[in-house]
Amino acid sequence: MNSGIRFDGVSVAYGGTTVLDGLDLTVEPGEVMALLGPSGSGKTTALRAVAGFVRPASGRVFIGGQDVTALPPYRRGIGMVVQQYALFPHLRVDANVAFGLKARKAPKAEIPARVAEALEMTGMAAYARRYPRELSGGQQQRVAIARALAIRPRVLLLDEPLSALDAQLRSGMLAELARLHRELPDVSILYVTHDQVEALTLADRIAVMDKARLQDCGTPQDLYRRPRTEFTASFVGNANLLPVTVGADGVAFAGAELKVPTDGVAAGASATLCVRPHLVGLGEGPNALRGRITEVQWRGSTHRLYVEVGGHRVKADVRELRETPALGTEVTLHFAPEDAVLLGAGVADG
Amino acid sequence: MASAVRLAAPAATDQEPGPSPRTSRSIPAWVWALPPVAVLALVFLYPLALVVQESLAPGAYADVFASASFRDALVTTVWLAVASTAGCLVLGFALALVIAFVPFPGGKAVAKFIDVFLSFPSFLITLALLFLYGTVGMANGVWTDVTGDATGPFQFLTTPWGVLLAEITYFTPFVMRPLLAAFSQLETAQLEVASSLGARPLRIIRQVILPEALPALAAGGSLVLVMCLNEFGIVLFTGAKGVTTLPMLVYSKAILESDYAAACVVAVVNVALSVGLYVLYRGVSRRAGA
Amino acid sequence: MLVHSRTGKWTAWALFALLFVPLFALPLLVIVAASFSTHWSGAFPSGPTTAHYTAAVRGESLQALTTSLVTAVTASLVALTIGTWAALASAAMGKRGRRILDALFMLPVAVPSVVVGLAVLVAFSQPPLLLNGTRWIVILAHTVLVTAFAHQSVSAAIRRLDPMYEQAAASLGARPSYVLLRVKLPLLLPSLNAAAGLCFALSMGELSATMMLYPPDWLPLPVLIFTSTDRGSLFTGSALAVVLMTATLLALLAVSRIRTRASFR
Repeated sequence: MNSGIRFDGVSVAYGGTTVLDGLDLTVEPGEVMALLGPSGSGKTTALRAVAGFVRPASGRVFIGGQDVTALPPYRRGIGMVVQQYALFPHLRVDANVAFGLKARKAPKAEIPARVAEALEMTGMAAYARRYPRELSGGQQQRVAIARALAIRPRVLLLDEPLSALDAQLRSGMLAELARLHRELPDVSILYVTHDQVEALTLADRIAVMDKARLQDCGTPQDLYRRPRTEFTASFVGNANLLPVTVGADGVAFAGAELKVPTDGVAAGASATLCVRPHLVGLGEGPNALRGRITEVQWRGSTHRLYVEVGGHRVKADVRELRETPALGTEVTLHFAPEDAVLLGAGVADG
Repeated sequence: MASAVRLAAPAATDQEPGPSPRTSRSIPAWVWALPPVAVLALVFLYPLALVVQESLAPGAYADVFASASFRDALVTTVWLAVASTAGCLVLGFALALVIAFVPFPGGKAVAKFIDVFLSFPSFLITLALLFLYGTVGMANGVWTDVTGDATGPFQFLTTPWGVLLAEITYFTPFVMRPLLAAFSQLETAQLEVASSLGARPLRIIRQVILPEALPALAAGGSLVLVMCLNEFGIVLFTGAKGVTTLPMLVYSKAILESDYAAACVVAVVNVALSVGLYVLYRGVSRRAGA
Repeated sequence: MLVHSRTGKWTAWALFALLFVPLFALPLLVIVAASFSTHWSGAFPSGPTTAHYTAAVRGESLQALTTSLVTAVTASLVALTIGTWAALASAAMGKRGRRILDALFMLPVAVPSVVVGLAVLVAFSQPPLLLNGTRWIVILAHTVLVTAFAHQSVSAAIRRLDPMYEQAAASLGARPSYVLLRVKLPLLLPSLNAAAGLCFALSMGELSATMMLYPPDWLPLPVLIFTSTDRGSLFTGSALAVVLMTATLLALLAVSRIRTRASFR
């Protein structure tokens, strides 16, 4: 069965402000797609358009190949989990999980078994007779997931599901979600988050959103190693974004000639070079940059060095140094040519 | 995990959306509003319209406006309402200030008491004042016991002052409630910062608390003004011939004199006065976010 | 936190007590004291008795109490139904429709109760709906008066209701009617209870419209209190007033107990 999601030029506007601008995106059946972006980037609006809580000004939304744009939410066959869980406070855990089954008039005899299944999957079977207010945040989240799964949805929409949890619980739930997805390989998951770790850990593909638009889309590795835009480079992982001028077989940066792949970019154009700080090494090597240390931060296993190179600040994350270098020390940095990515042309110094 | 596999299996029966969204177009929202509106129209709007219609009887307005009793009642109603509102605002602000910012044990109970006070009818206050300040009441009793005079000095109950006292007593809690709500939103850190900067209490009240309380004061004050304009029980229980307000006049014209046309004219004037003020109140309280 | 010095605090409290006790506490106390007395001609009441209460739970008085209770319960239930319906309908409407509907249902608050009484009297003293002289005209007026308050408090509760519950229910496949019955109304229950208590208290103490309308065989408690005091039986009136206050308080207490059991958060 086809359970994917497809956005076909979906735009949403509230009172003249466009909050989602012509989104084209396909989530394959069984795929986990993360919508990653800062707040106000339109990612939650996209999710709500799938759920049916916002009506697109233009464009269509498809679930499992069927146009659901005009369908009310209760006829879309989706499971949804939101940040505040939205468990019904007047119902016990089992009644919360049974809610969707009863609302859809599932055969009465089936309901207890399906509630038990869903609670077992999320490890909440022991809490069936509790009220939501008697549960911790993480437990409430599990019940919310069980409730969404009990109706056997074609697609599962997760809207910042972990952001109300503390850091430790979050990483546990992340593993839990990954396990659930392995157990439910046919369900497509749309996962909205502003947290890159969640997106990188869980998603098969990540759609990066900013300013109501889709900026980039690809596998986590692809986005991390080969970002296509400055926004992606800085939002997915850390990045040095260096303004460069493209030459014949390299680029010029702050008076230095750097050897990097320039595929596709015409010589003479100005562009941005993206180098991940942890791929920048201290000492002589290929693509050496000389500068002066302006700030040092000790981060336990690493030292973060801020080095001024020809008026630009370059970040380098190096293995913890025995001795913390003094500010003002002259140092040399280097990076391997294959670790640098040249982003689109015509970017100003930022 | 076997259960997971079963869960994952698509259950086609209960998740297929219906054939077409058009077939189940729901009834527009305004249709649902019709039954209650119809009821309201029958039992309230239509009767009110009849009152207006009745008031338009030939010569009714001229007769009523020409009568001294109407003009007296109008003046009495307005000044009593304005004076009561002013009194309630001052008293309510002072009392709420102490409850909120000079906390004392039992303060919560006092706030509860005020809520309960609001649920009692107004005429109880006049009844109580009869025992407190009536000709043979507590205050005069103390006076005659102490001085040996035949009568006490407190004879104001049957004058407008008695009504004023009763209205201030009864309506002050209506000002205090929104004020206490507003004060509870005020961050105590603000007060602490202000006083750590050397501001004295009066200055803090004027420059920090009062601006925050203004919307609540405006909303509570206009509500009380409307309620005072409409107050009937207090005036009726006072039994004073000298104090006639518009609602009292409506009652006496209709029930005691059976002059319905005149009663309707007075009613229309009273409604115009209160509804006008109420619209103002709604505007103020909406802006205050109440 | 406003006043830091000891003397300052005590001054504020003394001032508070000086205003609060005679203005608010004393009136209720004297009514209670008077209800147990036969005389009040000095500083304090005298002639302790419970005779007013034995009279208050018999004959005319008992009938007035039942009349008030029946009127208040009926008016509150009807008002709650209409007010809740209107509040739910208005929440589902657009901004302009909502404004109009809310304004319509608020109107009875602004119109003097005496005028509501007069209007009901004028409208229902003539065919086709001849209610004058029956109990129904009193109950009808009370309903009109308290519907506005029911509507107001239920609308406020609906505004406070987080839409996420409704949306979660819809995403699980619940139709609007199912959402209303299984999610919205249960979540509104505490507010509905509070509104019922408010309506009941208002109706129990209603005098203005009732004075215009009551037939001889449907005489609510406030009217009886008035007629007693009007013919000089102040102590009987006080006892009746205490009965009225107690009945109101008991009802409010009962309602708040339901509320604590039904509030989920």
